[in-house]
Amino acid sequence: MKVKINGQELEAREGETILELCLRHDIPIPHLCYHPAFGGQGACRMCLVELKEPGRANNRLVASCTYPIHSSVEVTTESERIQRLRRNIVMLLARRASQNPWMKELAEQYAAPSLPPVQTEPADCILCGLCIHACEKMGKTAIWSMFRGIEKRIATPYDEAADECMGCAACAQICPTQAIKVEEGAAIRTIWNKRFQLVACRRCGKNFATREQLEYMRESSGYEVDELCDHCRKITLAQSMRQYNR
Amino acid sequence: MSAKIKENNYDQQTVLVCCGTGCTANGGRKVYEAFVEKVKDHPEWEVQPVLKSTGCNGWCEKGPLVRIMPRDITYCSVTPKDVDEIINKTLLEGSLVKRLLYRDPVTKEHLTSHHQTGFYRKQHKVALRNIGEIDPGRIEDYIERGGYQALDLALHKMSGQEVIDAVKASGLRGRGGGGFLTGIKWQSCKDAPGRPKYIICNGDEGDPGAFMDRSIMEGDPHTVIEGMILGAYAVGASQGFIYVRDEYDLAVQYLGKAIEDARSHGYLGPNILNSGFSFDIEIVRGGGAFVCGEETALIASIEGRTGEPKDKYIFPSEKGLWGQPTVINNVETWANVPVIILHGADSFASIGTSGSKGTKVFSLVGKVVNTGLVEVPMGTTLREIIFEIGGGVLKKRKFKAVQTGGPSGGCIPEELLDLPIDFDSLTQAGSMMGSGGLIVMDDHTCMVEVARYYVNFLAGESCGKCTPCREGIRALLEILTRICNGEGRPEDVEMLEEISTTMQEASLCALGRTAPNPVLSTLRYFRDEYLAHIEQHKCPAGVCRNLTTFYIDADACTGCGLCKKQCSVDAIQGEKKEAHVIDESLCIRCGECFRNCAFNAVKIR
Repeated sequence: MKVKINGQELEAREGETILELCLRHDIPIPHLCYHPAFGGQGACRMCLVELKEPGRANNRLVASCTYPIHSSVEVTTESERIQRLRRNIVMLLARRASQNPWMKELAEQYAAPSLPPVQTEPADCILCGLCIHACEKMGKTAIWSMFRGIEKRIATPYDEAADECMGCAACAQICPTQAIKVEEGAAIRTIWNKRFQLVACRRCGKNFATREQLEYMRESSGYEVDELCDHCRKITLAQSMRQYNR
Repeated sequence: MSAKIKENNYDQQTVLVCCGTGCTANGGRKVYEAFVEKVKDHPEWEVQPVLKSTGCNGWCEKGPLVRIMPRDITYCSVTPKDVDEIINKTLLEGSLVKRLLYRDPVTKEHLTSHHQTGFYRKQHKVALRNIGEIDPGRIEDYIERGGYQALDLALHKMSGQEVIDAVKASGLRGRGGGGFLTGIKWQSCKDAPGRPKYIICNGDEGDPGAFMDRSIMEGDPHTVIEGMILGAYAVGASQGFIYVRDEYDLAVQYLGKAIEDARSHGYLGPNILNSGFSFDIEIVRGGGAFVCGEETALIASIEGRTGEPKDKYIFPSEKGLWGQPTVINNVETWANVPVIILHGADSFASIGTSGSKGTKVFSLVGKVVNTGLVEVPMGTTLREIIFEIGGGVLKKRKFKAVQTGGPSGGCIPEELLDLPIDFDSLTQAGSMMGSGGLIVMDDHTCMVEVARYYVNFLAGESCGKCTPCREGIRALLEILTRICNGEGRPEDVEMLEEISTTMQEASLCALGRTAPNPVLSTLRYFRDEYLAHIEQHKCPAGVCRNLTTFYIDADACTGCGLCKKQCSVDAIQGEKKEAHVIDESLCIRCGECFRNCAFNAVKIR
């Protein structure tokens, strides 16, 4: 399907969203809640673009991360209107993480007026929802959003140490504002109010996973898991291949 | 029954006792039970009166209502103590119990039937046609009044497409708020590939002060079911769901009974009326979230996920429940469908305005004399509804505004009272039809506080998924609270507008896009009031405590002592028949004296 993005004609793939098409062609559209691994959520609204549809007089604003291209539309990714909306969205969002360097940079970039900070739980959380999706993608549902409206926040059930949590910290890794706190000691990791025993790589001795993570891998794959970190696993694999080829 | 009754040619009398939620709360059920008990004591009567408990008659202000048919007598505010007298005088002797009749406030005349009252005269019942006339627990009552005839007609004489064409020709638009053309929605679902298809009835009514859908589900559940079966037949759906707000216990009871009865009568289930068409309905109780009235959030909720909406770039009519083509219509919309099929699209389209056909049910509440449920043709003016049907503003106070459309709607001022209301005129006025809530406000209402109230409601009811809605509401609430507390800043009005327009343009679903309406409409029509709060530190309505100082005008005060009696902190002093005085240091500015003074002697400084 042929579509026009900022006047340039591009070929969209079946089922592709406007954002995916643009990213594929290096056309920048800001986005906070989209991740290639999960697709669009339409939550942050930073990726709004203007759309001219056949048969409609006025341009329509759509979230490019969730709009599936299904007709030959014309898209504008930058305009005064879009710029104003993005600035206001950043203005509203920045107060949730006002001291966060990443957020500060974003606010500066859009010249967003600053509003008094809002205390969030966890601190600096902008509710992009990426952590929930990361947890789901790992096959778990240890965290979810709770409450509604201005009270909404991300948490484990009843804020207790969740049985489901295996301490993989995928949520913390994906968080753009580093709002999810991970404390890591010599052999213990603490995340979401739960303590995890860390397992050291049998080759290099570096901590690389939690005991629960390895247990989960064993259960879900049905294979014994060799206690090796990513790096050492590659090396041992290469060594065994060399032996085999000889 | 006695010989006397026979002389009057009343072979069989029917006593209809209103047991809608409003009347039940006022003892309607007890009145009904008293009738049952008393009649049981008289097995010797040749012709036993028929006793029925009905759904909401709409005139909740005067409930519990008791109606005697076929003479069409209506008794208001009936208590169990009155039952003996009604039986003896009206049922046996054929005379009236005058004290229970409605007395017209202007002519002082006693009116025999509610149909003669101003409240009912202007109404036109389509969706509410059976409510108050039938026992919602008896399918026979519904059938007796023409129920399921439309279904019989459609299944045996019409194709699915012909049903859709009729709905299209009727011009019916969705009564849930959006006003989307129902026929177009159905056509899109019919044309969408994929099976099974689903039908959903949206009964998640959540606007403060709205109870149209509840009354229909409680008072005439079969019309909703028949409408859904017709819709299912038209689009080719095999399964339906009624999503009912969890608090609506009575509605769930009656709907459940109605579904069972419809099954046993062959209107639901496999091979309906031997037509080869099969369809069934299940009730889903809501999770108590206002946002689940939004189609995509409702679908998520039925699927067992968090009730959060999704972008609707592909409509549910193409990809809805479990990814299948789904038609979602609101309770009132479904209730209109059997009428359109049975009496024809032309007859329906002859009611209303050019863009909005048929009637609309409103729940009329607030500072109005006759609160209750009213159904009027589209195009009726607000003035007719509030002053002719509603009987005007309570305590003869001055009308200030009417809030339409719930939290997504806006406040309409006096100068627009002659606006013929339909979907488009209300949107142009900066409000919306919404599901049909009408809240009347008098001159003791602070419009900034009204905006704050609605934004505060949405602060708890927004799902919180998208930034503009969640954070926009937070910012609006902060600013409005600040203004009401007397800490408003000169730049606040501009900021309210900037945030509001961002929410309208950028929010994910209709909740967020319409959330600023209460703010924008009050800014549009009552801007002076905002400025009075911010610049002069005054609340002209005397509501915002930090901005109000009350005093008693010595010339106007008659010394009746009412304010003194009502003051909870003893801040008012004065001798009988002499001017009273408020001690400002003690006054907590609750406004009780201000609102209750019959001589308008309490004033704002």
